[in-house]
Amino acid sequence: MGPEMDKLGVVTTFLHNIVVYNIPLLYGTVGEIMVEKSGSLNLGVEGIMAVGAIFGYIVGCYANSLGVGILTAFAAGALCGLLFAVLTVSLQANQNITGLTLTTFGLGVYFFVGNGVKAVRWPAMNDYPAIKEGFADIAIPGLSQLPVVGRGLFDHNLLVYLGVAVALAMWWYLRYTRPGLRLRAVGENPASADSVGVNVKRMKYLHICLGCGIMGVGGYYMGLNMSGSFNSSCWINGYGWIAVALVIFANWNPALAILGTFIFGFFNTLRVSGSSLAAAFPGPLGWLAAVPSQLYQALPFLITAVVLVLTSVRKREGSGLPASLGLNYFREER
Amino acid sequence: MRFHVVKRDSCPLWKRLALYVGAVAAALVLGGLLLLALGVNPVAYYSRMFTMGMVGNKIAYKSFENYLKVFVPLVLTAVALSLAFKMRFWNIGGEGQFILGAVAASAVAFQAGPVLPGAVTLLLMCLCAMLAAGLYGTLAAALKVKFGTNETLMTLMLNYIALYFLTFLGETKATWNFFLDPTSARPIFVSFAKTVSFPRIPMGKFGLNVCVLFTFAVGALVFVYLRSTKQGYEIAVVGDSAGTARYAGMKVNTIVLRTVFLSACLIGLAAAFKVGTAGILSTNITDDVGWTGIIVAWLAQMNTAVIFLVSALIAMLQYGSDVAAATVSQVDSSFANMLQGAILFLVLAADFSTRFRVVLEGKGGRKHGA
Amino acid sequence: MEQQPYAIEMRGITKTFGSVVANRDVSLTLRRGEILALLGENGSGKTTLMNMLSGIYAPDRGEILVDGQPAAIHSPEDAKRLGIGMVHQHFKLVDVFSAADNIWMGKEKAGFVLGKNRYEEIAQTARRFGFELDPKKRVRNMAVSEKQTLEIVKVLYYGAKVIVLDEPTAVLTVQEIQKLFGVLRRMKEEGHSIIIITHKLNEVLEISDRVAILRKGEYITTVDTASTNEQQLTEYMVGRKVDLNIDRPVVEKTKPLLEIRDLTIRSDEGAVAIDHVNFYIRGGEMLGVAGIAGCGQKELCEAIAGLRPIQSGQMIHKGENIVGLSPKAILDKGISMSFIPEDRLGMGLAPSLSITDNMILKSYQDTKGPMVNRKKGKIRAEWVIEELGVVTPSADTPVRRLSGGNVQKVLLGREILAAPNVLITAYPVRGLDINSSYAIYNILNLQKEKGVGILFVGEDLDVMMALCDKIMVLCHGKVMGVVHAHKTTKEELGLMMTGALDLTNRYEDKPAGFARDTNIPPQQTPEKEEE
Repeated sequence: MGPEMDKLGVVTTFLHNIVVYNIPLLYGTVGEIMVEKSGSLNLGVEGIMAVGAIFGYIVGCYANSLGVGILTAFAAGALCGLLFAVLTVSLQANQNITGLTLTTFGLGVYFFVGNGVKAVRWPAMNDYPAIKEGFADIAIPGLSQLPVVGRGLFDHNLLVYLGVAVALAMWWYLRYTRPGLRLRAVGENPASADSVGVNVKRMKYLHICLGCGIMGVGGYYMGLNMSGSFNSSCWINGYGWIAVALVIFANWNPALAILGTFIFGFFNTLRVSGSSLAAAFPGPLGWLAAVPSQLYQALPFLITAVVLVLTSVRKREGSGLPASLGLNYFREER
Repeated sequence: MRFHVVKRDSCPLWKRLALYVGAVAAALVLGGLLLLALGVNPVAYYSRMFTMGMVGNKIAYKSFENYLKVFVPLVLTAVALSLAFKMRFWNIGGEGQFILGAVAASAVAFQAGPVLPGAVTLLLMCLCAMLAAGLYGTLAAALKVKFGTNETLMTLMLNYIALYFLTFLGETKATWNFFLDPTSARPIFVSFAKTVSFPRIPMGKFGLNVCVLFTFAVGALVFVYLRSTKQGYEIAVVGDSAGTARYAGMKVNTIVLRTVFLSACLIGLAAAFKVGTAGILSTNITDDVGWTGIIVAWLAQMNTAVIFLVSALIAMLQYGSDVAAATVSQVDSSFANMLQGAILFLVLAADFSTRFRVVLEGKGGRKHGA
Repeated sequence: MEQQPYAIEMRGITKTFGSVVANRDVSLTLRRGEILALLGENGSGKTTLMNMLSGIYAPDRGEILVDGQPAAIHSPEDAKRLGIGMVHQHFKLVDVFSAADNIWMGKEKAGFVLGKNRYEEIAQTARRFGFELDPKKRVRNMAVSEKQTLEIVKVLYYGAKVIVLDEPTAVLTVQEIQKLFGVLRRMKEEGHSIIIITHKLNEVLEISDRVAILRKGEYITTVDTASTNEQQLTEYMVGRKVDLNIDRPVVEKTKPLLEIRDLTIRSDEGAVAIDHVNFYIRGGEMLGVAGIAGCGQKELCEAIAGLRPIQSGQMIHKGENIVGLSPKAILDKGISMSFIPEDRLGMGLAPSLSITDNMILKSYQDTKGPMVNRKKGKIRAEWVIEELGVVTPSADTPVRRLSGGNVQKVLLGREILAAPNVLITAYPVRGLDINSSYAIYNILNLQKEKGVGILFVGEDLDVMMALCDKIMVLCHGKVMGVVHAHKTTKEELGLMMTGALDLTNRYEDKPAGFARDTNIPPQQTPEKEEE
C-alpha cells in the first residue's frame, strides 16, 4: 500500500509540475495569438515577458501586493506592445526586425534593471508575505479531492487559474464576440475590414497592447516561480520562443493552446522528473531515464516544425494562420 | 488637423544619412540621460565605451584582439544573411546554422586534428562547417520552395532544434562524446586549441588572427559576387521582383535554393572561425550573432560595405560596454543591449520618413482649386 | 423640376500616385434615385475616383458634397456613416468567414456577443432585397456571382443610400447580369442612388439614366442616356478621330512568323480570358490588338511569352510549336514580349535596379564566364537614353526613380535591342507625351521594315489606325474580327470592342485567322467546325 501511494504521489507531483511550471507558456502563447490574430508577427515575446517579469516582480514586491505586480507586469508588457505597434502599424517598420529588436531590448532592460536593483537591495520574495500568500496554492473544493489528478490539476496558485481563464476568455472572445470577429477580419484581410468601416489601426494597436500585456503577466509568473531569485540567466529562459512555436502548434486557437501548453509542459516536466517516474515505474517507464533531457527541450520545436510543414502541405484548409500575418497594411497601396 | 500618408518615390542619400545619424545620436542622448539619472557622467562613459578602454592602456592590443573576436563572427554572419535577405528570403535561422557549423568544425578538429597537418585540418573544419550549416539552411529553403512553408517560422524552429542538439553534446557524458573533457567527472567541453587553432600573424605584441584577413577577403568576395556576377545579379532581380525574374527566364526556385545554401554556408564559415579561434565549443558559442546579424544586415540595407561598418559599430557597442561596465560599476553591461535596441527603434522610425511622406490636410486643403 | 441637392457631388477632384495623375480636376454629380453609369476605358480613373468617394483614397485636391453638404470622407468608416457603399471589382471579402460574418463585422450597433440570430437576420435582409443567400456558407466556397450578391447585400444592410458598383457585370453570365439589373432597378425605385462603373455600352444604355464619361483621368461630360447612342458614347470614350500623321511604311510581308490556333487561356481567377482565338502575324507586318482593357490582352501576351499555361490550342512559331516551352526558350527563338501594366512597373523591369542592369535582364546569360558583363548593358542603356530621349541623371539610376514615360522607353528599348523576329508590345506609349510616343512609333516602324512581325496591343484607336497594318478586335476574350487599319473607321472599331458588331465571318472563303500560306501542315490543322 505504502509504495503504491508513493507511486501515485509521483504521478500527482508530475501532473502538478506540468501545470505549475508551464502556465507562463500559456500566457505567452495566448498573448501572441491575440497579436498574431491582428496580422502582426511579433518575435519579441521573450523580451516582452522579460520586461513584464522584472517590473512586475520588483514593483509587486515593493508594494507587497500580487495584484499590483500583475498590473505592473501587464502595463510593462503593454508598453512594449505600444512600441511595437507604433513602429509596425504607424511607421510601417518591418515586423521581424522590430520583434527581434524588442527581444534584445527587453532582455537588456531586464538585466539592466535587475542588476541595478540588485546593487541597491534585491527584494526577496520571502520577505513579502502578501506576495507569498497570493501565490500560494488554492485547492478547488471537490475537484481537488479526486484521486491522483485532484492534487495534480486542481490545487494551484491564483495565476494558474487566471491563465486558464484568460485563455478560455480569449477563445470565447475570438470566436463568439463581434470585436473578436472584427479582429480576425483585420488579420485575415485588412483591406476588407477597412472597407466596411473597421478601424484597422485602432484594432491593431489595441490588441497588440493587450496581447503583449498578457505576455508580461506570463513573465511575472516566471519570476514568482523562481521565487524571485535573480541570477545570470534570464527568468524567461527561452519560454518566449516556445510560446511562438506553441501558437503554431495550437493553430492560433487559445483553447487548443491550453492543451498545447499541457503537451509541451509534459515534455518539459519529463525532462526534469523523468527519472523519478522511471524510478517509480521501472517496468513500463524505466526507459525514460535513458532519454536525453535535451530531446524534451527540442521536442516543442521539432513538433512545431513538423506541424508547420504539414499545414503548408495541406495549404490553408482549416488552418488558423491569419492570411495577412507579417504584412503591414497601407491603405493607399495600389 | 487631418493628415494622410503617401509613399515616396525616392529619398536623397544625404537626407537618409542625416536621418540615420540623427536617430543614432538621439538614442545615445537617451542613453546619456539614463546614465545621468544613475549619476554617471555620460561623456566619460561613452568615451570609455567607444574607445573600448584602449586609450592609456598598456595592453591595448589585447583589447583590440578581443574586439576583433567579437567583430569577426558578427560581420561574417551579417554578410551571409544579407545574401538571403537581398532575395527577400527571411532566414532568421542564423543561430541554428552557426551552431551546426561550430559542431561540425569542432568534430573535425577532434577527429582530424591529431592526424592531419594543421592547415589541412583548418581547411577541413571550414569546409565541413560550411556544408553542415549550408544543408541545414537549405532544408528550410527546400520546404519553402516545395510547399510554401513559412521560412521565418521554420528557421526559427530549426534554431532551437540545433541549440538543444548542442546542449545535448555539452551535457552528455558518454564514451563516444569526444567533445567533452574525459578527465572531468562533470560534463564540460574540452579545448582542442593545443591541437589546432587559427594562426596569428604577429605585429609587435599584437597578433592578427588570420580569420580577420579571411573575413575581409570573404567580404570583398561577397561584395563582388553580389555586384558583378551573374548569380549576384539573379539574386537582385529575384529579390526585387520574382515575377520579372520569371519573365526573364530565370529559374527562381533554383536561385532561392542556391542562395540560401550559400548564405548558410558562410554562416558555417563564421562558426568555424569562431571555434577555430576559441579552440573550444560552448553552449553559447553563437554569442547571439545569428540574431544580431539579422539586425546588422537590415540596418545596413544589405550593403556589404555598410555591413562592415555597422558590425564594427555594434561590436564596439557590445565589447565596449563590457569594458566600461568593468570600470563603472553602476552601469550593467546589458546597457549595450538596451542602447542597441534604442538605436534600432529610432532608426526604424527614421526609416519611415525615407519611405513615406505625411501630407497635412489643412482646413482649406480639400477645397476646390485651393 | 424641383431644385433638389445632388446625392453626391464631387468637385475638382485631383489624385496623383507618385508621378502618375490618376484623376485631374474631375467633377461628377449623382442625382437622388438615379442610376449613373461611369464610363471610360481602363486606366481612365473611374475606380480611383470611386475609391475616393468610398474613403479608400484621400484626394489631393477637390471636395465632395453629400446631399448638398460638404462631407469629410477620411476613411471607409466615414463613407459608410454617410450612407455610401461600394462593391469593389476585386471583392473585399474575408475568405474564411461565413457570409453573415462578412456583413456582421462591419455592423456598427450590434451586441458584443455574436448571436446565432445573425444568420437569420442576414438571410432575412437578403430576402427582403430579393436575394437568396446562404448566411452560413463560407466565402471561399462561393461562386463569383454569390460573392457579388454578398457584397451587394452587405452595402444594403449597412443602409447605404448611394451604392457604387465597380464593373459588376465583368464576372457574370448573361442571365446573372439581367438579374443584377433587375435588382438595380428595384433599388432605384426604393430611392437608392447608384453609380455603376462599366465599359460595356449596351449595358450602359440598358440600365442607366445618365452617363458620365472619363477619359485619361479627366472628366469629359455627362449625358442623358435617353438622348444618346452607342456611337456618341464611343466617341466620348475614345475621343474624336485625330489625324496623327504617323507613317505606315509598306513592307514586303513574309510567310507567317507566329500563328495562333484555337487558343484558350484562363485568367488568374479561373475565368476564360482568351476564348478560342485564331490569328497570325507575318514578318514586316504590324497587327494591332484593340479592345477594352482587361479583355484578355494580358493573358494573351503572357501565354505567348511562356509565362502562362494555356488551356488548349496551338502556338506555332516559324512552323515550330512553342506551347510548353520555357520563357527562356521562347526568348531564344526571337520572340520578345513587353507589357506595360497600369502601374508601369509590374512586369519586365526590376524597379530597384539601374537602367543598365535592366538592359541585360534577358541577355545576361549570353556572355561567357561567371561575371555579368555590364559594359554591353551600359552601351545599350546609353543608346536607349540617347535615341529614345530618356530623361535620367545617368544610366546607373534605378528605374523606379524615373518618370513613367521614361520607364517605358527603357523597357521597349531593351526589347528592340534584343533584335527579335516577333515583337509583342502592349501599351508601349501608355502615359507618354506626344514626342516620346512618336519616337516609339518610329522605332516600331523601323523594326517592321527590318522584317519583324509586331503585335501591337494598344489603347488609342487613332494611333492603331494610323500605325498598324491590320487590327484585331477582342471583346471578352473573343475575336470580333480582323480589319484593315486603313479601311476601317473608329466607329466600327468601337462597336466591335463593345461587342455590338462581329466581323469574324467577313471573309467567307477561309477560316478567320488562318493564313493561306500557313506553316502548319494540314494534318495539324483542325477541321473547321461547321455549324
